[in-house]
Amino acid sequence: MSMKTQFDMVIIGSGAGGAPIAHELVLAGKSVLVLEKGPLLRYQHEHPRGLSDFKRDEFFATGAEKRLQLEVSNKGRSYYSSHIEPDLNDEPHIYRTADGRDEATIEGYTAQVVGGGTHLYGGVSLRYSPLDFRLRSYNEGRASRLRDDPNGEVVREARDWPITYEQLEPYYCKGERLVGINGTREGQAKMFSADHYQKPLAANPISRYVERGMDALGMCRYRTPLAVITEDHAPSGRKAHDSRTAFVNRYGDPLGLKSSTWACLLGPISRRENFELRANCIVTHLECQNGRVHRVHYRDPGGEPRTVEGKLVVVACSAIESVRLLMLSAEQDEEFRRRIHDSGLLGRYFLTHCFGGAELRLAEDEERYDKSISLDSDWATDFCTNSDFLDEHGLWAGGALYNNTSDQALPLSLARTHRSSDLDTTWDGFLNDVGLTGEGLVDFIRRDFGKRLSMSYMANQVPMRDNRIELHPSVRDKWGRKVAYILKGWHSHDRVVMQVLANQCRAVLERSGARYDQLDWGSADGVNRIANHILGGARFGTDPKDSVLDPDCRAWQLDNLYLTDGSFMPTAGGANPTLTIQANAFRVADHLKERV
Amino acid sequence: MPAHVLLEEDTYVLNHCTRHLARDNTDGRHAFYDTATGFRANVCESWRFPVIDSYYDAALGPDARYAFNEVTFVYFDPTAPAPQSVSVVGTFAPLYERLPMRRIEGTRYFTVSLRVPKGEVYVYKYLVDGQWVLDPINPQETRLDNGERWSRFFTHQCLVPLTFESWEQELLRRLTDHLLPFRTRATRDFIERYLKDMDSATREARFPNAHRLDQSVGVVNFIDKLLAREERHNRDDYKTCIALIADILRQRYPHLPPDQVPRETIVALYDELAGNGSVAGWDYTRYGEPAYFLKLLRRHTLMGAFSHPKYGGNVGAVGWAFLEDSVRHPATGQTLFDWRRSIEQPLGRSEEYRG
Repeated sequence: MSMKTQFDMVIIGSGAGGAPIAHELVLAGKSVLVLEKGPLLRYQHEHPRGLSDFKRDEFFATGAEKRLQLEVSNKGRSYYSSHIEPDLNDEPHIYRTADGRDEATIEGYTAQVVGGGTHLYGGVSLRYSPLDFRLRSYNEGRASRLRDDPNGEVVREARDWPITYEQLEPYYCKGERLVGINGTREGQAKMFSADHYQKPLAANPISRYVERGMDALGMCRYRTPLAVITEDHAPSGRKAHDSRTAFVNRYGDPLGLKSSTWACLLGPISRRENFELRANCIVTHLECQNGRVHRVHYRDPGGEPRTVEGKLVVVACSAIESVRLLMLSAEQDEEFRRRIHDSGLLGRYFLTHCFGGAELRLAEDEERYDKSISLDSDWATDFCTNSDFLDEHGLWAGGALYNNTSDQALPLSLARTHRSSDLDTTWDGFLNDVGLTGEGLVDFIRRDFGKRLSMSYMANQVPMRDNRIELHPSVRDKWGRKVAYILKGWHSHDRVVMQVLANQCRAVLERSGARYDQLDWGSADGVNRIANHILGGARFGTDPKDSVLDPDCRAWQLDNLYLTDGSFMPTAGGANPTLTIQANAFRVADHLKERV
Repeated sequence: MPAHVLLEEDTYVLNHCTRHLARDNTDGRHAFYDTATGFRANVCESWRFPVIDSYYDAALGPDARYAFNEVTFVYFDPTAPAPQSVSVVGTFAPLYERLPMRRIEGTRYFTVSLRVPKGEVYVYKYLVDGQWVLDPINPQETRLDNGERWSRFFTHQCLVPLTFESWEQELLRRLTDHLLPFRTRATRDFIERYLKDMDSATREARFPNAHRLDQSVGVVNFIDKLLAREERHNRDDYKTCIALIADILRQRYPHLPPDQVPRETIVALYDELAGNGSVAGWDYTRYGEPAYFLKLLRRHTLMGAFSHPKYGGNVGAVGWAFLEDSVRHPATGQTLFDWRRSIEQPLGRSEEYRG
């Protein structure tokens, strides 16, 4: 490892928020250091003997049982982390339950690896709808009333983004081109100035039900954009193979066909002299002087303390961890504290998504489908994002609907996600269902395997000031640093959004022509559902009193500090956030190129 | 045979070290792990060391290269002064062969990677500045016949019993048989046919020492290995509960060995364990919550049947083959679980993925 300590740019985090900036600034000739706390796991073609550090192995992806040892109310509970999620005993997220207890959760992490969550995600790469960018002004001007918002909080707390869809649109195009995404533009309700999608693969035959259901409801549909290459991808130099396996969601791809930020943005520049990546290096705090971050403190792979300096510093560790890093820095540095807490909003307006859907089990006499030959999703619709729909249902914002194809497509995932609602309840449903044994297990496999069809929605959560990230008063990580503490609930209007959109998912399945013997629908509405879509906590805006970041995602009072993961978002958007985080990072990169 | 040393990059080794070993905490936060005391109680997943990985060599055919693992040793002890030289000695090479370990620049990690045959148990020690020491990280240890303690590891598809006595294995086999979907005549026939249809050379290459295996799917072996490594902290639960179950079976059938009682008895016992009521004859002073043991057993049994065969169960991928066979299209006979297309050769038939 080089001992160089001065760079034009120091970027903390190598996922969707950090990698686009590194990519662009390196190509612009700037000297760039990326610090990443996780390992640099390689693809087969990158390893000297031709093996990948990612495996198609269900036990590798969700590992052995471990027991929580921290002094929290779920101490002693079992947890199962993957090889690139943090160990809960080392670095937990703590949340407060509805009845006021503190519990550690594995939810709310993306992944700690070069490439971040883009290794593990299903790759759904939707654009946000134009309305998602102006939910304040849209709702202020509306005649129709919002349901279950008696005090008008939704309009009061909604914020327009300081940029419009049209301003971000060229960067969506850039992201789609450089990341490597397959999908179709036709059928999307959003304006596209260019179409860089690769051709989608043949849909899994089970998805024909979803086609029928969407058509019956008059929902314009399109092939879900997925960050997996299906053709040779010139910008990253990757060659296509058949990428359909059930090892998609929660699996890194040993072949590098999934467009993680390492595959598409960092790998291709990794041999350039002006780029340096330090993996296995955790940043502990930032230090400032005269209104600028002037030193970044980190631990090297052996755990030794080091520092580096960057003319510009980008923090992109995923929203919870970025906010935590700034709060930890503020505790050590009075000037940093004064500047970063100036608006009093750091950590406030933390957001996830309203998320849920519907699922059916095909009847005995219906066909079975091999869901292990698929990517994560086949069809999506923007039907629930237009203003007619929102007026009809009294909603403040809409959301995307899409079907899932890789869920429960492998034997262990069938069992461990059976009746579990999140990562904290992995295995619980199966283990509590004591009838699933012997003949019961034969029957379960025969009835469920390859016969489950599901639809999801992803929608905006109402921003609330009290939904926030703090530092936990007592729990410490393995470095002795305070861990993140998440306090979060749902607005009454969120429940309406959840109900309406889960019903739409149900309707698609009901109208799909499928004969079924089970149909369930609902939403992940527990407070522990922090999920992997962690957004907000440092929102951008035009008023320094009402935002943490300026429109370029720069901290208002720290001239060279930028936040470019999902924390900048004032509203969560009605779709999976990764492509928007990437597009925004490309936008910020253009601004940064002018500054160094 | 002399050791086959592999050149491994620093990045690879650090990828396996930092998350687990680099830290400041001294609070024993990983002490839930059965053997975790001292420094070991502070590190995360100490059982991951030495690192056992797949092996690939394009020059060898699928069966030949599949016979090996890559094993990466890491010596690291922050409680002792930084050593000048470290080497490793073990049964994977002649015992007089001291394999020097290199220090990764800028760290206190010493490392060496070797190509080692699969399916075996090995013992080793480190020679640290002239002193013999056990691995301060890896909790697996064994005492040889001469009373000497050695560190231990085992490679993929290992079938050597490490946790259970043979009577425990047999009782566990009967319990897990009841949990699995393999006990009908049709499924038993399928499994026998599947394993028999493979010629013996293929069988030996792909499933080394399969002749040692007397269980149909290898679930008991999977649990044996899991309790020797990843879930060592659940070992006592098994030991205690198997003994308690044997006691109950002896009470109910005083004239039969516990592993030979009629199947109905096992079924009835399962139902008692699964129910909320009490289990007749269970000694609650020795183990308070039999339903908890059943959860462990059910999770482990399912994992054993359907995890990758490298973990010692799902022998010859027979669990996957069973699924493949049980979800065939009624008209065309085509399977609707074509797992082979995405799994490495020789187990599967993927042209790209190498395991």
